[in-house]
Amino acid sequence: MSSFKERNIECILAILKKQNPATTKEIMAMRDLFPDLCAGCSSGGDVILAGKELVEQGVVEREWTSTGFVWKLISSHDENT
Amino acid sequence: MVIWSRIRKDFPVLNELYDGKSLIYFDSACMALKPVQVWEAMEYYYKYLGACGGAGRSTHSLGVETSLLTEEARDKITNFINAESSNEIIWTRNATEGLNLVAATISLEKDENVVTTTLEHHSGMLPFFKRCKETGSELRLVEAKEDGTLDPADFEEKIDDKTKIVSFVHASNLTGTVAPLKEVVEIAHEHGALVISDEAQFAPHQKLDVRAIDVDFCVLSVHKACGPTGIGVLYGKYELLESLDMFLVGGDVIEDVVYEGNNVIPKYLPPPHKFEAGLQNYGGMLGAGAAIDYLQNIGMDNVHNRELSFSKRLLEGILELDKFEVLGPLDYKQRAALVSFRPKSDAVNHNDIVEYFNELVPNHKILMRSGNMCVHPFQYQIGIKPNKGEGVVRASLYIYNTVNEIEIFLGALEDFAKAIE
Repeated sequence: MSSFKERNIECILAILKKQNPATTKEIMAMRDLFPDLCAGCSSGGDVILAGKELVEQGVVEREWTSTGFVWKLISSHDENT
Repeated sequence: MVIWSRIRKDFPVLNELYDGKSLIYFDSACMALKPVQVWEAMEYYYKYLGACGGAGRSTHSLGVETSLLTEEARDKITNFINAESSNEIIWTRNATEGLNLVAATISLEKDENVVTTTLEHHSGMLPFFKRCKETGSELRLVEAKEDGTLDPADFEEKIDDKTKIVSFVHASNLTGTVAPLKEVVEIAHEHGALVISDEAQFAPHQKLDVRAIDVDFCVLSVHKACGPTGIGVLYGKYELLESLDMFLVGGDVIEDVVYEGNNVIPKYLPPPHKFEAGLQNYGGMLGAGAAIDYLQNIGMDNVHNRELSFSKRLLEGILELDKFEVLGPLDYKQRAALVSFRPKSDAVNHNDIVEYFNELVPNHKILMRSGNMCVHPFQYQIGIKPNKGEGVVRASLYIYNTVNEIEIFLGALEDFAKAIE
C-alpha cells in the first residue's frame, strides 16, 4: 500500500498526465477525477508539498505566473508524450 | 516596560537566515515559536533528571525532583488562568484531547442536547458530534454572523433546560473573533447547562480568568503559548472533574486494584491524577511551566496591547489595498492578532499565495498558513467551498513580531496583488 505522501505524488502525476501543464488551481479542481489517489486534506497543502517533491526530483518544473504556479511534467517523464 | 527587541532575541530562529533570507514568522496561530527559556527547562529534565514523576511513583531523588517540578508547573498554569486549585488542572497531549475527554465522559442522555457553533475549530465540534451520535442526542448549531461574530441572543434561542453542555471557541483561529464568553456562560448557567471553552487562541494572547468568567471547563494549547508540542491543559471545576468518568485508565490513576474472589476492584485517585493515565510528558510539563513564566514576566496586558497595535495595522493595511476579502470583524478591537484573507479576483489558489510569500519575496521568507484552518462549516456557511479547493491565507502574529515586519509584509502583498492582475 502506498504511503500518504506517495499517493499525493501519484495524484499530481496522474493529473499532469491528463493536463500538462496545469496551474495549482486546475490541479485542485481535477483531484475529483482520481479519488483513490487524491485523498489528501481538502485544503490542498499536501498537493503543494507533493509537487515540490517532484520538482526536487527533477520530474516536474514549476513557474510563477499571474495565475499562480504552473506545474509542468518534464517530457521525458511523461509517458503520454 | 517591556523591551520587545530583547524578547525577540530569545527566539534564535528569527535571528538566523534561512536559504539566505530573513524569516518573518506569521504562523503563530498554528504554532508559536519557543524561547530559549523553554527549551532550557526541557533540557534540564532530559539532561539532569530523565526519571518518572507522578503520584507516589519513584521516591528516589530524581523521581522526587521530577514530581516537584512538574507539580510546580501545574501550579503555574493554575495561577495563569486563576483557577481555584491545582487539582483542577489536568495535563493532556493538546487542547483537542481535553475537548475529547469531556465530550466522551460527560453524562449525556438521549433527550438532552449539546450546543456549539459553526465557527468552531473541528476539535471543538467533532468530539461532541461523535458523542451525540452515540447517545442519539441532538447537536444544536449556533450560526456565527457573516462577519464571524457570535451574538449571545442566538445562544438564547438554542440553549434550553435540556442543554447539557455548550462547547465554543473563545477566540477563533479563522476569523480572529473574540466571542462573548461571559454572556454565554450566564445564559447556559441560567438553564443549568455547562460550558466548555476552547482557549487555544485566547489564553496565549490575553489574560484569562476562569473564575471571573465562571466557565466550567476550558482547554489550553501550550504550543501556541511559546511552550513545547505534545502538551496541553484541561481545566475543570473540581466537583465536575470528580463527577466525570475517566477517558483513559491504567497506571498512575489508581490508589489500589484489589484482587478479591476472582475479581478486580480498582480504586481510583481523585482529580487531577485520575485523568493522567500512564507515564507523562514530564519534559513538556517543565517546558509548559517555563512558557507560562515567560508570558507572565512580559505581562498578559502588555502582550494584548502590543497585539492590538499589530491587529490594527495588519487589518487596515490589507483592507487599504482593496484587493482582498478579509474574514471576520473589521473592527480590530473585536479580534485576535490574526487576519485570514483571500484575493477578491479568485485568480490564484490560496496555497500558491503562501508559497509565493515563502519563496518569491526578495530578501524575506514570510511564513503563513493556507487552507481552511479546520473550520470548514463556517466557510461553507459564507460561501467558501473547501471541497472545491477553496480556502484562505492566514497571517497570525505574536510577541516576537514587529511593526516593521508588518510593513514588509504589506509591501510584499501590494506587489503580489500587482503580480496577479
